[in-house]
Amino acid sequence: MNGVLGAILISVGGLVARAGDGLPGNDHESPRDRAGLSRAVLTGEIGKRIAGAEEGATIEIGPGVYREHLRIGKRITLVGLPGAILDGAGSGDIVEIAAEGVTIRGFTLRNTGIDLEQENAAIRVLAGRATIEDNVLEDVLFGIDLRGAPDCIIRGNRIGGKALDIARRGDGLRLWRSDRGIIEYNTLHDGRDAILWYSSGITVRGNRSENCRYGLHLMFSDEVVIEDNTLTGNSVGIYLMYSAGVEIARNRLVRNRGPSGYGIGLKETDRFRVQENLITGNRVGVYLDGSPFTAKQPGEFARNIFAFNDIGVTFLPSARGNEFSENNFIDNITQVAVSGRGTLTGNRFWKGEAGNFWSDYTGYDRDGDGIGDFVHESRTLFESLTDRNPAMRLFLFSPTQQAIEFVGRALPAVRPESKFEDEVPRMRPVEIAFAREEAAGGALGLGGAAALLLTAGAGVLVAARRDGGT
Amino acid sequence: MNLATFRAGCDLDTGTSETPTVIVPQSLRDATSPLGKGGGQTPGNASGKRSSYDMELCASGHLPPGMARNVLTVAGRELRDAVRAKWFLLYTLAFAGLGLAISFVSASATGGSGLASFGRTTAGMINLVLLVVPLMALTAGAGAIASDRERGMLQYLLAQPVSRSEVYLGKYVGLAFALLACIFLGLGVCAGVLAWTGIGTKPGAVLWLTGLSFGLALGMLSVGMLISSLSRRASVAVGTAVFVWLTLVFVSDLGLMAGAMALRLRIEQLFWLSLVNPLQVFKMWSLHSADASLDVLGPAGLYATEEYGRGLNAIFAAGMLAWVIVPLAIGVLVMNRRAAA
Repeated sequence: MNGVLGAILISVGGLVARAGDGLPGNDHESPRDRAGLSRAVLTGEIGKRIAGAEEGATIEIGPGVYREHLRIGKRITLVGLPGAILDGAGSGDIVEIAAEGVTIRGFTLRNTGIDLEQENAAIRVLAGRATIEDNVLEDVLFGIDLRGAPDCIIRGNRIGGKALDIARRGDGLRLWRSDRGIIEYNTLHDGRDAILWYSSGITVRGNRSENCRYGLHLMFSDEVVIEDNTLTGNSVGIYLMYSAGVEIARNRLVRNRGPSGYGIGLKETDRFRVQENLITGNRVGVYLDGSPFTAKQPGEFARNIFAFNDIGVTFLPSARGNEFSENNFIDNITQVAVSGRGTLTGNRFWKGEAGNFWSDYTGYDRDGDGIGDFVHESRTLFESLTDRNPAMRLFLFSPTQQAIEFVGRALPAVRPESKFEDEVPRMRPVEIAFAREEAAGGALGLGGAAALLLTAGAGVLVAARRDGGT
Repeated sequence: MNLATFRAGCDLDTGTSETPTVIVPQSLRDATSPLGKGGGQTPGNASGKRSSYDMELCASGHLPPGMARNVLTVAGRELRDAVRAKWFLLYTLAFAGLGLAISFVSASATGGSGLASFGRTTAGMINLVLLVVPLMALTAGAGAIASDRERGMLQYLLAQPVSRSEVYLGKYVGLAFALLACIFLGLGVCAGVLAWTGIGTKPGAVLWLTGLSFGLALGMLSVGMLISSLSRRASVAVGTAVFVWLTLVFVSDLGLMAGAMALRLRIEQLFWLSLVNPLQVFKMWSLHSADASLDVLGPAGLYATEEYGRGLNAIFAAGMLAWVIVPLAIGVLVMNRRAAA
């Protein structure tokens, strides 16, 4: 789809984009030059300064609003002093980088076009070794779009999408066949996806994403490190498809909800390790579909916190070969679900002496070694019902659910098969220092609410009694 | 002003010894009768006290005139009697006690990790409300009219210058306030414990849950009083109320589950059918407000969120309001048509 689109753009661009010939900025012919873009280079103030600059020069741009579309065709460093604003005036791209080694720093870029077919972007990078740093992108369709641009650094940018319906938004960040990049400490909000296509050896570190569709999406991208990111309130936190060799560590995946609503989703992904992530309040904490893809290496989940998700981990029946150890499963409404029916025989929930902590474990620890004396089994009748027929989740949190579970416990005849076992369940949660979230801090307000309710309740009583006295 | 006799006669729990009262055993009744020796007097020999009631009706000068005033006078009496009755004390204690237990359990479950979100706490409170509040409101309502009718008290009341609708609505308002106090105290204790143990539940969510619980109580009270107005005997009324409670809490859900699976209902059908049950309305509304998203309830919840979005509040409000107004209106009609004795 994207390839086709790119091809169309290139051919269209090639037909019409000859207006800027002879400009120094056009030394490196872009495969998808466009008429509007090149004309603008002639007129704008920054465009002229770029045209007049030496290769390797640093150009500082003072404060002001510049309604320009830039095309950078030589290796320069473009620095926006505070208050330097590049305004796309609601049409087309804003900056296109066509030469290697360009740096753009400190600008505010705003107001791209909204043409999804043209994929209007604030910064489009068509050459390698670019550095895009500390810019603020506001009201942009696509934010930073790398096409065939290896070894780029994208750091400390703030990328805000357009207030459009999700179907009409563009990607805040997109890498297309751009290997070995570093994406760190950016903030993305209100966009569509941050997505890597066919880009390997990428490090994604310390970014934040809110209110997007995919917080981070990998397609056919191998050897990627994803660490210390905070992905909150997106449709999906991290979704890996058809990738291999992925490290996911110390990320916070919080309240990613909606029809997909996965904290981390893994589809036919191979060789992955998921460690020390905080996965809380998602519809599904981790969603496993055909992962790991081959039997080369087990899928490793260690020392994560799965807390307060609707479902901690969902397995499709195809998911085999995962190992869970030293994770904390705290109060997920369903701790582990199997889509459809069946058990999780192909996966293990302990590794040697390292089991997981299950907040619904009912056993005890007589010898005091911190490991429960009984195997943790998951066999509640209501859960097996909802696994088979998810619509029955409608009856969650009702006395009916309790009644069904009671029947399941009381009558062995209707007790379901155990879904999975943890032979060495932990009695206490694993301490994972980084994942301590700020306490929700409602204690004072909650105390106030309590006082209010108690006073009002008591007030009614007192009033009733006093009435009686008169 | 000698109102003791009237009050005693009105009180559901302080009837004469020959009155079959199903709620409270005789021993308890005597022990906590709010008016000690007055409790033995029957309305029948209280003919001389009629004027005192008239006087109170007319003397409440600070109240609005006419119907509203009469309703409030009856309501005040009903509230006073309810608050002194044992059912009120028992329910309040049970409600607060169970709330305490849930709060402490959820406090220990998080293991002090400081993580907080929609968890066991809210779920537990919703479950508690679903179980206790309807029972409380249904039985309180069921006792309201039938026992008075059984003892002749209703006849006596209606001999006063108050209309039947006024008596009915007055009793409703009075009992509603009693339930309000009970719910506030119970959930207030929960909130207090949660605040004390440092569980991060949002205060707004607790207040909202309390409000919704009261809404549910109003609906169930309405149904309870309708049952009461239709029943000739208090025992029948309370029995029917308990049966209705069982139906709403367990039978309808189980039936719907079985039906949905057997008939392969579509999720939108399932969603709308479940909304017939006021308990489900309460549950969904509380979840909707606590989490701002119903997708916690699986496909049906997702369907509702995607399809109706912000309109859900209106749907739930309409559902809850219907359960308050319709039985109340029918109850008033029944009350106006039926003989007092």
